[in-house]
Order: sequence, then C-alpha cells, then structure tokens
Amino acid sequence: MNESITTEIRQKAKELLESGQVDCVIGYEASARNGARPAFIYDPADADRLIWNEYCIHNLVTYLHDKKKPRKRGEEPPRIAVVVKPCDSRAINVLLAEQQIERERIFVIGIACEGVQDEAGEPAVRCNRCADRVPVVYDVLLGEPPEVTPVEDDYADLAQIEEMSPNERLAFWLREFDRCIRCYACRQVCPGCYCTTCMFERDDGLWVDIGIELPQKNMFHLGRALHLAGRCVECNECERVCPMGLPLSLLNRMLVRDVDALFDHRAGREEALSPLLFELGEEGSPL
Amino acid sequence: MRFTTTKELQAWLDRLAQETDLIAPRDVDGHVLYRPVASGDEVLLEYERPELSAKTYLLPDTEVLLRFERRGNDVTQEEVLPDRQQVIFGLRPCDAHGFVAIDALFLEQDPADAYYRHHRERTTLVGLACPRMWEGCFCTSVGGAPDDPTHLDVLLREVDGGYAVEAVTEKGEALLEGTALSGVEGLALEEREGEPAPSVADAEQVVVTEPAKWRALFEDQMWMRHGERCLSCRICTYVCPTCRCFDVTDRVVGVKDGATRIERIRVWDACTSTNYRRAAGGHNSRPTKPGRLRNRFYCKFCYYPEDFGPLGCVGCGRCTVSCPVDIDITEVMRDVAEAG
Repeated sequence: MNESITTEIRQKAKELLESGQVDCVIGYEASARNGARPAFIYDPADADRLIWNEYCIHNLVTYLHDKKKPRKRGEEPPRIAVVVKPCDSRAINVLLAEQQIERERIFVIGIACEGVQDEAGEPAVRCNRCADRVPVVYDVLLGEPPEVTPVEDDYADLAQIEEMSPNERLAFWLREFDRCIRCYACRQVCPGCYCTTCMFERDDGLWVDIGIELPQKNMFHLGRALHLAGRCVECNECERVCPMGLPLSLLNRMLVRDVDALFDHRAGREEALSPLLFELGEEGSPL
Repeated sequence: MRFTTTKELQAWLDRLAQETDLIAPRDVDGHVLYRPVASGDEVLLEYERPELSAKTYLLPDTEVLLRFERRGNDVTQEEVLPDRQQVIFGLRPCDAHGFVAIDALFLEQDPADAYYRHHRERTTLVGLACPRMWEGCFCTSVGGAPDDPTHLDVLLREVDGGYAVEAVTEKGEALLEGTALSGVEGLALEEREGEPAPSVADAEQVVVTEPAKWRALFEDQMWMRHGERCLSCRICTYVCPTCRCFDVTDRVVGVKDGATRIERIRVWDACTSTNYRRAAGGHNSRPTKPGRLRNRFYCKFCYYPEDFGPLGCVGCGRCTVSCPVDIDITEVMRDVAEAG
C-alpha cells in the first residue's frame, strides 16, 4: 500500500465530506481477495476505509453514471468526488464533452500514477504502453509524478491481427466470440457505454435478438467497438472484466489507431467530442 | 467399489464419445469448460473447477421451444422437444448438486418443465471428485462435499494408479455394464486412497442463515455497501449452477416458399440486469444496483428455500472468483450471519 497517497486521499475525502463540498467520495478500499475494490464513502467517519495501492485497477469514472439523478425527487443531483488515474481521467473528458456529467458537480482526485497490477500480480496490459503519470483533468493531484521515459505507443499488440488475411481475421474473431456468454460485463463497466436502452438489448430485437449464439455475439462486439470509435479511452476495463478472456482491446485499439491517424484525435486527451460524432445541421455533414 | 486405470478410462471415454453425446471438461483456448468432445484424449482429467457450470446442457442458454410457419392465414406449429442422449463426464459434485436445486422448481412443481425434463431424463452424470477445495468454494458449508456421490449417477475418485469407480444409481450401473469399468472388484482400495486433502478437512465453514433472519434484514444498510459497486452485469448468474431465470421471445428466422418461419426461443436471463424487472409502460420495480444484487442473494438463501425447498447455492464459488468488482457471496453470508 502507498501510505502517503492513502493518507492524502483520506484527508481530502474527510475535508470534502465535512465541508459539504461533495456528498460522496468514490475511491478504493482494501479487499482481502483482490487487493482493492471500489468503495463509496458518504460519512467522513468512513473516510479511513479508503486506500491507494497497486491493485487499484478499476476505472471508477463509470460509476458517475449512477449518480446523475437526484437521490430524492425535487433534490439536486449529488456532488461526487472521484479518485482517478491518468487513463481513467480521460473518460471524464469524454463524458464532459458528451454532456453526461457537469464539471461543477464533480471533484476529481487525481493520482500521480506509477502503474497498476492485474489479479495475477503482473503490470496491467494498459500500463505497459502508457507514459501518462498525471491525469488530464483534476482538482487536486496527490502523489509525486515519477520520472519516466515516455513510451511510444507503437501498437505492437495489433501486429498479430494485421498479419492475418481477412478470412483469417474473421475466423480469429469468431473463435474468440464463440466463448462470449453475453453477460454484458464489458458494456456495463465501460464509462462510454451509457445508453438508456442498448441497441443490442431492445425488446423488439430490431438489430439482434436475445439469443446467446455466435451471430448475436459477433454483432454485439463489432457494434460496441464501432460505437466507441473515437470515444474509447483505452482503460481496458472491458478486457479486464471479461470472464471468458476475450481480447477486446485489439478491436478497440484498431479503431483508436485509425481515428488517431485519420482525425488526429485520441479520446479524452482534451474535452472534445469524437470526430465521428457530429450534428447534422442545415449544411449537412461536416465530414 | 471398483478400480480402473487411466488407460482403461480413456478407452471407455473414446467409446462413449462414439456412442453418445459426450460432454466433458476440455481446454478451450486456455479456458477449462464443459464442452462436447469427440474423443477421450480431448478430455481433461486434471483440472480445477470448470469456469462455467454444466447448466447449459440441461437448461440451454438458448433453446428453441416451438417453430411456427405462417402462410397467408394458415399457421402451423411444431413443438420441438429435445431427444438427445448425453453423458456429462467429469462433472464436479457441486455442479450435480446444482441440477438438484433446479429440479425442485423445474421437475417437482406441477406442471414439470417439459424441456428440462426431457434433457434430464436423457442425461447421465459421471462425476469426478475434487481432490481439494478451490479458490472461493465452500460446498461443505451448503450440504455438499468435494467427493459427494449423492447427486451423480457414477462417481470417480482419483486414487493411486487410477480411479475408484462407484455406480451410484441404476442409470449409472447401466452405463458401466459390460465395460472395463464394471470389472475388477475387490482391489485393496483402502490402501490406494490417501488422506483427504487438508484443504477439504480444514475448509472454513460459512454459516447459512435462516430465511426469517434474511427477511428481517431486507432494509439493512449492508445491501447498499455490497451492491453499490455492482456493475449490473450477468457474470454471477451465468456462471452459477443454480440460477435458472429465463426470457422467452419469438424471432423470424426466414421466409421460404412464401411462408414466414418463426421460432420461439428461451434464453437465460439475469436478475442482476437492469431490464429484468422492467414492466410494460416502463416501470422498473428494481431500479437500483443494490436492490438487484440483494435479490440475487435473497433468491438463493431466502425465497428459493422457502418456496421450493433447497438452497439456491451449492458453494461452487464461481460468482465470487469471476466478479470483476469483488462481490463475495461468502462475505455477504457472514455479514448476514453476524448482523445484530
């Protein structure tokens, strides 16, 4: 456990809750099984539950969607403080640009990040290609940003897909999707997936029926990847939570790379909409 | 009790794979899953707990119930009842126990579920005892054991040099009849068997609390504490050997010779998902994550035992180890047991 950041998080949380500046602090607490897990703190007396360690892998920004509505009718929506790593923080920029959250209701506790670990105790996949040590948006920064040699993201992970012919790629993905159990964990954990009714879960089955079969799974995963084009912040939570080990980052990062190359846009680096999302005005498409 | 060598067992599995649909633990791209196998050498004999239960072979994740064909004003319909014979080999005792929990609702209530009954009657369960407890599992706290033969037709246990074979039911006896596994008796099995693994003998007991106390704790703050970090995904219910909720829908599968062909399918559903309780008009009586997660635990330890008899949990531990946000069923059970 990082004692100094833990102490700072607890102090900050206490201060924010005591002063009434926020109603809830979303951070991490200790977990005997996994080292850390998401925690929701409402009472300053509970602030000492909060911790910071190398297992704080979850992207907590996704929980902001649960806090958009007032707790009681007629009240204001709650004000929330959220602990973020640099990768997580990019999701805040996306949600701000998409008008899903209000900046003045969010207090961002940024952490100077040294990388986190997966359940096996290995550095998380996303950390191996990340040189960001400071969140892109924060109200307070805790910890000292470590000196690092910037890592150039060379998309080496995509090489295995690129080497395949179209037919081989199709076979590769169908084999992976075949294991999918359609649990929707990838969608549920994603800060960018917040539609009230997911197009893949409509009662009328307009695009895809509810069957847990290969055609539906294929449609779901390809559709979800496309809906995140220019919006995916590469936090890799979808791949982490998948109980069947689907390499979903390969799909998402293929689109990340294309959007970056074509539009010079990397989601969440600034508070900007995906260039693939636009308003169709009188002049027609801006593209 | 009989004894078989690994070689004899492999030969038997080869034969079974030829004669019937054989389901067994298999390595699927690095994941151990109960899957159909074509020969004995695909079958894993050393494995922990398959990542998914075998539930889908008796209650398929997607199952066609009826087929309709509409031509003008004429509608014809055909009921599709399964008639596949299958053997599930290498079933862990907790997974067999899970079927017994489903039986309480799908077979023992009137009317029985015809589709489940057809699968159940045509399935023979051959278990392989767990040599030890696995991460997160607690079968010994909920009426099971790693080598419990009760809910199986045949149970195999690994012993020195091979496997001890126990025919538990007549169905199991019939499956072994005339095979190498029905042979040699009277070997000094006692000498071949070692002591139970310490992990079994010392397994920590998790207290199962009576439904009445669960009812009293319905409004407790603990549900917020456990449920607020829930993602409302379906992992826990889909990996579970006893979760049995489903949805039914009709889908058009094509138009042929002027006739529209429609299937009625039954598909797994999950009480943890947002839409599960949404009613016509849009009202959702379980609108929050903590409320939905609470329901899953109440179903297992309060509603199901009250309404149908057995607990809705066999202690396999899959929901705990596969939860991405560390929701631990034994932690919930302890909190309920210890609550004031």
